[in-house]
Amino acid sequence: MNIKSVLESLLFAWGEPLNINEISRILDMSTGNVNHILEEMMISFNQDTDRGLVIQKFGNSYQITTKKENYDFIQSLLQTTVNKSLSTAAMETLSIIAYKQPVTKVEIELIRGVKCSNVIKGLLDKNLIKEVGRLDKPGRPAIYSTTDEFLRHFGLNSINELPALKIETEEEKKAT
Amino acid sequence: MEYSVNINVFQGPFDLLYHLIEKKEIDIYDIPIAEITDQYIEYLEQMMQFNMNVASEFILMASTLIEIKSQMLLPQKEKSEDPRQELVNKLLEYKLFKDVSETLKKYEDESSYYFSKPKEELALTSDVKVEQLSLNEINIYELYNVFLSLIKNQNIKIVTEDTFKVYRENYSVKDCVDELLKKLKLSGRVSLFSTFREKQQITKEYVITTFLAVLEISNKQGMKIYQDNTYSDIIIIAA
Repeated sequence: MNIKSVLESLLFAWGEPLNINEISRILDMSTGNVNHILEEMMISFNQDTDRGLVIQKFGNSYQITTKKENYDFIQSLLQTTVNKSLSTAAMETLSIIAYKQPVTKVEIELIRGVKCSNVIKGLLDKNLIKEVGRLDKPGRPAIYSTTDEFLRHFGLNSINELPALKIETEEEKKAT
Repeated sequence: MEYSVNINVFQGPFDLLYHLIEKKEIDIYDIPIAEITDQYIEYLEQMMQFNMNVASEFILMASTLIEIKSQMLLPQKEKSEDPRQELVNKLLEYKLFKDVSETLKKYEDESSYYFSKPKEELALTSDVKVEQLSLNEINIYELYNVFLSLIKNQNIKIVTEDTFKVYRENYSVKDCVDELLKKLKLSGRVSLFSTFREKQQITKEYVITTFLAVLEISNKQGMKIYQDNTYSDIIIIAA
């Protein structure tokens, strides 16, 4: 059995980001080993200019995608441009969840100053966020976190790759 | 003729307020409240003129601004907090996330250059051949006929009953509520288990009706219902 060949087939067939635990279960190998091999593959796919595919890592999942350089060609193949981008309201809500997770709806609404029920429902439907439990407070409010799909949507390897929040201190502001 | 014009759409009151502050190049740490309140309200009026629904959150912010404005007019104690401080903090926090959401937007655009494909239909094909039935072309009469012939083939006899028995309700929720309340009045404490034990014979119907009665009672004021553990006795006490 050629592990790399198996991995490539698995990622192709699955299409969507495939979780490392799932892969290690199928191959009966430790996640550390699988991670190591997949990272090797990521590099070799990237370096091989004859290939049109790359492997990307989002959190604990890997996915085969096309290469960025070939975007224009694929684009001209498509009939219409599919606009998958999120609304401003969704972006704001998602940002708050990403940095403050796990977070309740009320906390999000306090920051945005508007009701967020529908936006949160939309994000849940898109699998960009998930309910990770409930607070032991009156009303047992649900708390939300981002998903691996969130990382994929923004091309992040892990949640640590989020851009730093620019906290402008009073002094800095006055200096400018 | 009614027509609507799409002027700047704001995500919420903070968004609008921040827009006004930036437009006027105002120092956020020293907001001229009177001026900004006027402009804020002017904008709301504009929104209403254009037949836009002004959400209650925008109106809440207008009243907050007016409140701060009136506080500013009153003489302040020396070390008391600036009445604008809370609003400024909230504005800054909102701005923090608004900015980062714009950065993330760029990330989103960037990642849209990569294409991936949806999951394959990974259904397992088993050895047993399953015939797919299409129900689209079958109407209810055909189903009815199939049903009849099935029954005929299987020699099932359908006995149609001409008469139906209507049973009288032995217990009503109202009766049980009255019973529980009467007991509660007498002793101030009712145990559901002992209520059941008092009866010489209890039926499923009685237990269910009593439970419904407890739920009914739980809506009323002036009593406490508790249970120590799952499946343990339910106690009602007059508070």
